[in-house]
Amino acid sequence: MSALLTKRLARSLWKTKLRLTAVVLMVTVGVFAGISFGTYANSTQSMYADIYEDDEDGVNLPDIWAENTVGFWDGEDAEYLCQEISEEWPSGSSPMSYCEPRIRVSGLMFNSEGESESIIPAIWYGIDEGVVDRVWMPEDDCCSGRLAIHEDEIVIDGHAVEGLGISVGDNVTIGAGQGRLDYRVVGIGYYSSLLYFAVDGSIVPAESGTLTSGYLSDSGMSRLTNLSQGSANLLLIDVEGTPGYDLQDTDENEGEALNVIIESIESVLESSSESPVITYDRSGVQSVELLRQDAKSAADTFPYITGMLAMVAGITIFLSLQRLIQSQSREIAILRTLGIPRSAIIPGFMAAPLVMGLIGSTLGILLGAFFGGPAMVSLYESVIGIPAIGFYTEPSLVFEILAITMLIVMISGIRPALQASRTQPLEVLRGENEIRLSSRWIQEATSRLPSTVGLTVRSSIRKPARMLMTFLAVGLSMVIFGTMTMMMDSMDDIFGNDGINWDAQVNVLPGGEGPVIEWANEAGADYEQLLVFPGSAEGDGRIFSAYGLDEFSTSRESMIKLEILEGSIPEKDWNIPQVLVDEGTMKFLGWEVGETHTLVFGTKSTDVEISGTTMEMSRTVYFHRNDLSEITGIEATSILLSLPEQVEVDGQLADLSVGITEKQDLIDSFDALMELQKGVYNSIMALGVIIAIAVLFNTLLMNLSERDTELATLRVLGAPISKIRMMMLGENIAIGLIGGILAVFFTVLMAQSFIASLVNWSFYFTLQPQTSAIFELVGVVIAISALCTPYGSWRVSRMNLVEKVKDLSQ
Amino acid sequence: MRHSVSMSVPLVSIRNLERHYQMPSGTVKALDGIDFEISEGERVILLGPSGSGKTTLLNCLSALDTPTSGTYMFDGYEVPVAPEEKKRARTGIDHWTMRPIDWVLGILLAPVEYFTHSRPEAKANELMTSFRRDNIGYVFQFFNLLQDLTVLENILLIQELADGRDEERARNLLKLVGLEDEVDRFPAEISGGQQQRVAIARSLAKRPRLLLGDELTGNLDTETSNTVMEVLVKACEAERITCVFVTHDESLVEYATRVVRLDSGIILSDEIVG
Repeated sequence: MSALLTKRLARSLWKTKLRLTAVVLMVTVGVFAGISFGTYANSTQSMYADIYEDDEDGVNLPDIWAENTVGFWDGEDAEYLCQEISEEWPSGSSPMSYCEPRIRVSGLMFNSEGESESIIPAIWYGIDEGVVDRVWMPEDDCCSGRLAIHEDEIVIDGHAVEGLGISVGDNVTIGAGQGRLDYRVVGIGYYSSLLYFAVDGSIVPAESGTLTSGYLSDSGMSRLTNLSQGSANLLLIDVEGTPGYDLQDTDENEGEALNVIIESIESVLESSSESPVITYDRSGVQSVELLRQDAKSAADTFPYITGMLAMVAGITIFLSLQRLIQSQSREIAILRTLGIPRSAIIPGFMAAPLVMGLIGSTLGILLGAFFGGPAMVSLYESVIGIPAIGFYTEPSLVFEILAITMLIVMISGIRPALQASRTQPLEVLRGENEIRLSSRWIQEATSRLPSTVGLTVRSSIRKPARMLMTFLAVGLSMVIFGTMTMMMDSMDDIFGNDGINWDAQVNVLPGGEGPVIEWANEAGADYEQLLVFPGSAEGDGRIFSAYGLDEFSTSRESMIKLEILEGSIPEKDWNIPQVLVDEGTMKFLGWEVGETHTLVFGTKSTDVEISGTTMEMSRTVYFHRNDLSEITGIEATSILLSLPEQVEVDGQLADLSVGITEKQDLIDSFDALMELQKGVYNSIMALGVIIAIAVLFNTLLMNLSERDTELATLRVLGAPISKIRMMMLGENIAIGLIGGILAVFFTVLMAQSFIASLVNWSFYFTLQPQTSAIFELVGVVIAISALCTPYGSWRVSRMNLVEKVKDLSQ
Repeated sequence: MRHSVSMSVPLVSIRNLERHYQMPSGTVKALDGIDFEISEGERVILLGPSGSGKTTLLNCLSALDTPTSGTYMFDGYEVPVAPEEKKRARTGIDHWTMRPIDWVLGILLAPVEYFTHSRPEAKANELMTSFRRDNIGYVFQFFNLLQDLTVLENILLIQELADGRDEERARNLLKLVGLEDEVDRFPAEISGGQQQRVAIARSLAKRPRLLLGDELTGNLDTETSNTVMEVLVKACEAERITCVFVTHDESLVEYATRVVRLDSGIILSDEIVG
């Protein structure tokens, strides 16, 4: 008997194919998104863990970096410092495994293209075959060759080869302020500090061909820099095992044990090194930190998105089943009158959503595993520029999402199933179950409106709980679309190049600014000196960039335009140096404008007064250059040039510098990043719109079928389809408007929470909801809603009135 | 729009009307060659057992259904019909019997149709609707009042959908059916008999030429049935409206001027009683 009942239910359900399709589509989209995002999140997490691993295949990422911020140690000094660090190693701490000196310099690559020559900023590393922080050359199409051994050999970073058209065996011409030298490319690989391939201080990954990096042997580096072999400006210290370190985005200190070692190293370097040194853990390496944060935010975001989609799918299924029961109530009542027990009715209504969920989940899993996941990872590869080796959709993820979906689907079916079983036969057969009194105040509120409008309003809000759930589902379904729209707007605002009015930034070694200024004077170029130095707040290990500026300006014409959010421009020659601090740093450190704080630069520290805050993506403190020079002992680290027409960066300037960044390269990189980001966001937005369409279509279809009797009565009484169409359009627009407003509300909440999970010390921005984005969001919901009207009116116009009259007479 | 009344032309003239249905078991002749005329002011009761064809005849009279053959003239004009070949596809929302390709095409073509209203069937349907709106009043067995509207608003709605709102007439009609004190009540707040009286007032709201009722007292007790019928006769006489009612109830014959008995799709008898 139960099988026959289930068969009867299945046949009834089959009559509502379109609504069933919408529900199954909802589940499919939810599972598809879950699998796609989950695959992406898992891939990012496992990828970095694999790369950094202390094993044969990994690079053995160091635990502590000690960086000479102004110069170089010679080989003897570097070895001595490592020795001292080892001897002073705090007792009770995990032992030191290795201390390896390393050298990193900024420089240039001179890339000949026919008769012309392009000058590309570069970062050169001296990496002899070592144990710590090796060049990553996995067995993959991305990489080939071997490490540089001889003095004329170089390994080029995989990010740069495509844009520059370099392959193993080619010769390249490079420099680092000591003239030009030719090297032979012997390998292509990646380096841990440049997995996120961006110029120092920039958050935007460089477009291929606008930045390069190379890894040379010790002798090769000596040849390039004219320094003695073994010279270093970095000490890479590896502690046994992988000790935890203080994560920048948490309140607790996960790296207390490591901090004890860092303090010991700082003490050793303060007494043994003549140059100022900064010491940091993995959180101080921008590339490592950004990628960790990215993997973390992917993992954090994935449950939000999946949960939200699951909730929307659950609401949709719940509402659909409720509607189904309503339409089935007469049949159920007859069955109950015939003595069918409740227990025989429940299983069918419980099984129905499970079957729908299973079909939707199967489709979603297939689409997610074979299309969504690979597409997400591939997009990610394009943004980051490194190969995601060996990623796949893990079975545990599939089971997890399937289990969650089926659980939600099952829960969604419980109440409707119980409702069905509790149907009171007499009430249904008398038609009393369908009678619901409109509230008096709604009647009064709408009594002055035309009856057609009054009917539309009253019947729309006849079931407030269902209506609220509908709006909730519509609002939530639009959250993905809205969040992406607002995120894109906010990122456009912050990433924008409005603040850059220089043509080239020429990096120089300490004391090397004079010849560049001379070049500028001869070329008739405007210039400003810029001093950039890493620093940290006292008692906080996180690194910011201190910028020493000659001019503070909020004008569009200035070389660096500042976006001041609060306070004012720092006063010159104040007794305590005044600074501008970016809003992210202010938030993370809990600082306020007007306060005085101590900043640490290597071994030196100074008090500063905060005069205002600026909007920056990276953590930044702006000084008057003189103030910062006094602290660091350096005049400038780069010269900003505004070039007159017909004047370009030339070889002479390149030879004077240790790296030149051209504005156009930044713009190209920004555009490329935004294009890729927009690609990702557009895909996610399309997903959001599909969900919204499915939800709205399903809802409006339910509203329509619920009002079937009403509409049929009106048609029999001669109501023209044009009037009914207007009623439906008005109702749909009203639902769209309310759903859209709720969508904006949910979106702002969601986007804020999403951004909160995304931002960190390295990467900070706030939501900038724009009126246009809000109107766009509401407009899209109204448009989808209104676009459902033709279908509804088409169905009404095709009603079989003879059948309907028969129904009305039963 | 109200047609001018011609004394020489009957209001309803049906010639050799047939309505056949294709069923798995074969062709069912619901109406099998009906010839029938109704003059202005008559109150006709169609009597017959289940399956006799009386409701089908009523549906044809109201232009809800299209005859398979024969002619139906209303006040000298041919009543519009839907194209035969499209009828199968016209379905109720809860009686979805179309093939998947039909609803896929439906979704795709709905917007086009929405703006152009180009389908011949849609045009014919609207002509039939327009005919009903201008000429026909309809009273259902289960009243079918809109539960979200008050008694008065149920009548105003029909006016708004037709020629325009006329609240004075709506109130007068409610007075005519004895419900002037119930205007602000919702249908669920009044009795079945009162609801049927509202339905009668609603059916008269747009001054129909022909009032049709299908078992309109079938859901009421005898006493209430009599009250409703008295109200109906009074209202029809006051408004000079022609009525056709379908019923099983022989006792209602006393309210008719003419009784037509049907069986198996043909007229068995047609007698003047009033």
